[in-house]
Amino acid sequence: MARMEDFLAATGLTKSFDSVQVVDSVSFTVRSQEIFGLLGPNGAGKTTTIRMLSTVLDPDDGDVTIGGHLVARESDAVRKLIGVCPQELALYPELSAIDNLVFFGRMAGLSGSEAKESAADVLERVGLTDRAKDAVRKYSGGMKRRVNIAIALMSRPQLLFLDEPTVGIDPQSRNHIFDTVLALRDEGLTVLYTTHYMEEADRLCDRIGIMDEGHIIALGTPAELKAQVGDAGTTTLEEVFLSLTGRSLRD
Amino acid sequence: MGRPTLLALFEVKRFLADRGALAFSIALPIVLFALMVGVFGGDTSFNSTAHVADLDGGDAARKLIEHIEDVDGLDVRHYTEAGLNDALDRSAVLTGFVIPPGFTDALESGTPATVRVKRRGNGGDAGQITAAIVQGAADGLASEYELRRALGALVSEAIPPEQVEAHAGVLLGDARRDPPVRVVTQTLNEQAEEENILDRLLPGVIVMFLLFSVTLNAQTLIEERRNGTLERLLTTQLSTGQLFAGKFLAGVSRGMLQTIVLLVLAFVVLRIAGPVALAQSAVLALVVSAAASAIALVIATAARTEDQATWGAVFITMFMTVFGGTFFPIGDSGVLELLSRFTLNRYAIDAYEGILSETATLGDASFEMTLLGGVAVVCLIVARVLFRVSSEAK
Repeated sequence: MARMEDFLAATGLTKSFDSVQVVDSVSFTVRSQEIFGLLGPNGAGKTTTIRMLSTVLDPDDGDVTIGGHLVARESDAVRKLIGVCPQELALYPELSAIDNLVFFGRMAGLSGSEAKESAADVLERVGLTDRAKDAVRKYSGGMKRRVNIAIALMSRPQLLFLDEPTVGIDPQSRNHIFDTVLALRDEGLTVLYTTHYMEEADRLCDRIGIMDEGHIIALGTPAELKAQVGDAGTTTLEEVFLSLTGRSLRD
Repeated sequence: MGRPTLLALFEVKRFLADRGALAFSIALPIVLFALMVGVFGGDTSFNSTAHVADLDGGDAARKLIEHIEDVDGLDVRHYTEAGLNDALDRSAVLTGFVIPPGFTDALESGTPATVRVKRRGNGGDAGQITAAIVQGAADGLASEYELRRALGALVSEAIPPEQVEAHAGVLLGDARRDPPVRVVTQTLNEQAEEENILDRLLPGVIVMFLLFSVTLNAQTLIEERRNGTLERLLTTQLSTGQLFAGKFLAGVSRGMLQTIVLLVLAFVVLRIAGPVALAQSAVLALVVSAAASAIALVIATAARTEDQATWGAVFITMFMTVFGGTFFPIGDSGVLELLSRFTLNRYAIDAYEGILSETATLGDASFEMTLLGGVAVVCLIVARVLFRVSSEAK
C-alpha cells in the first residue's frame, strides 16, 4: 500500500483503553517532505495515534512503517529517524535550555560534542541563542514552546511529530514557529502536525487528515477538502471541519 | 558512558540545581542532628554554677568557696550583694549564696555561723542540688574549725600554736584524701551506660533523611510521567530498561551523595571514627541507597498521582523510622522487634552502628548488607513489572 514517496504509512491502526475504542482502523500515509496535518476535535484520537506512530504505544492492531522500517519490529531504527514534540512542555524547567537540549541529544545517541553543536544550531533556529544558559522556568510561554520544538530537532530527524505546538502562545511566537516549520519542510524534513487552529492548518499543511471518534473521516489537500463542502475559493477550513465533525460540544 | 549513567548524572545535576531539595536532604539533617546532640549528647553528669556574694572576705569564707570549687561540675561566680539581688530579681539566677560579714569570726570563735541561700521559687533543680552541695561544704568547714579549736584547747602550752596548726592541717589533709566515710557508686547497667547514644542517632538520622529524600523523589517521577518527559525520553534511543536503570542509578547517586556529605561532616566535626570506618560506611551507604532507590521506584510505579506518591513515601519512611530503632533501641523480642524486621532502618542502623563505633567491620555486617541488597533486587523487579503495566495503562 505504501508508495515509494510515502515516508510514513499507517495501516488499520487500532487502540482501546479499558474497552473504549480510542483509535479505530486508522490508515493514512505521509509523503516525504510534506507537512501533513492531523485535525480533529478533543478526544478524536490524534494524540493516541501520534503515540503509536512514535513508538511509545503498541497498537492493538495495525502496522506503521516509517522510512521503510516497521515500527513494531524495528523501533530502534525508527527512533533514529523521528523527532517528537509532544503537546505538553516535556522539558526540565529548573535547568537551562542548553542543558535540556544537550541531555535529550545525548539520549538520542549524539556524542557530547555532537550534542553541543546540534544544540547551538537548533537554539539559533528557534531564536534562543541569547537565552541559552537561562533556566527554562524563567522563559515566557512562547519561548518554552520553542525549546520544546528545539528538543525534537536535536537528533536532526527526518520525520518530525508536532503535537499542537502553538497552544497558548502569542502571535509573534506562533509566527516564528510557522516560519521554522516551513523552513524545515523546505530543507527536506517531513512533518506530521496536529492542531486545533484551522487557519494554522490551512497556512502550513500540504495535506490534511481529519479525525473524529477514532476514525479518519476526510483526507486531502486543503483545497480538496474545501471542495468537498462548497466552493474551494470561498469556503474556510473551519467550515469544512464543522461540517464534517458537527457542531455539538466535545470533551 | 552508557545512557543510564548519563541519565543518572543528569538527575544529580537536577538535584544540585534544586535548592529546596538540597536544604531538605543535607542542611535539615545537619540541623536536626545538631539539635539532638544538644539534647541527648555530650556529658550528662551534673553541671552548675554557685552564685556567691562574699561579704565576709575572711579566711573561712575563702576556704568555703575553695571547697565548693573543688566539687566536680560546679563553678563559682562571684557577685556583690547588690549584683546578686539584681540577678535574682531578673531571674537570671534562681539560687544565690550570701556569706555574711562576721562568718570567719563566728567560725573561729565557735559561735553559729550562717550562709544565706536566696532563691526564686524553689530555686530550680540545679539550685537545690547546689544548695545541698554548699551545705555539705559548710558542714565540712565547720568540722574543720571545730577540730582546730579542740586541738588548740588540748595542747600544752609547751607546744607552739603554729605546730598545732600544722598538725591539724596534716590530719585534715589525710581525712580529705582518705575520708572516714566513703561513698562508692556502682553502675548496674554498665554496658548501656557506656553506649554513646550518638552512635545510634547519627546513622538513624542519616538513614531517615536518605529514605525521605529518595522516596519523596518518587513524586517527581510521576510529575515527569504527567508532563511528558518520560514519554519523550522513550522516543529517543533510550530503551525502557535503560530509562529504568538510569532512574535507579540516579536514586543511588543522590542517596550516596547525601550520605557521604553527612558522614564526612560527622567525621570531621565529631571525630567519631577513623578513615577506615568512613570508607566502610561509604560502601554500606551504597547498599542502603540502592535499597532506598528501589523502594522509591516501587512507589513511583505503583502511584497514579503525585499526592499518592508523596503520601506513600511519607508513610513508608515514617513506619521504617519509628519501628526501625532510629530514636530508641529495639529490644530482642516483642511486637516492636517483630515490626522492626520489616524496616530497612533496623539493618542499616545496626550495620552503621558497629562500623562507626569501630566494634565491627563490613564483614561482620554481611547479613545486613545481603538483606539490604536483596530488598533492592526484589523491589527493582516489582517496580519493573509495575512500570510496564502503568505505561501501558496510561
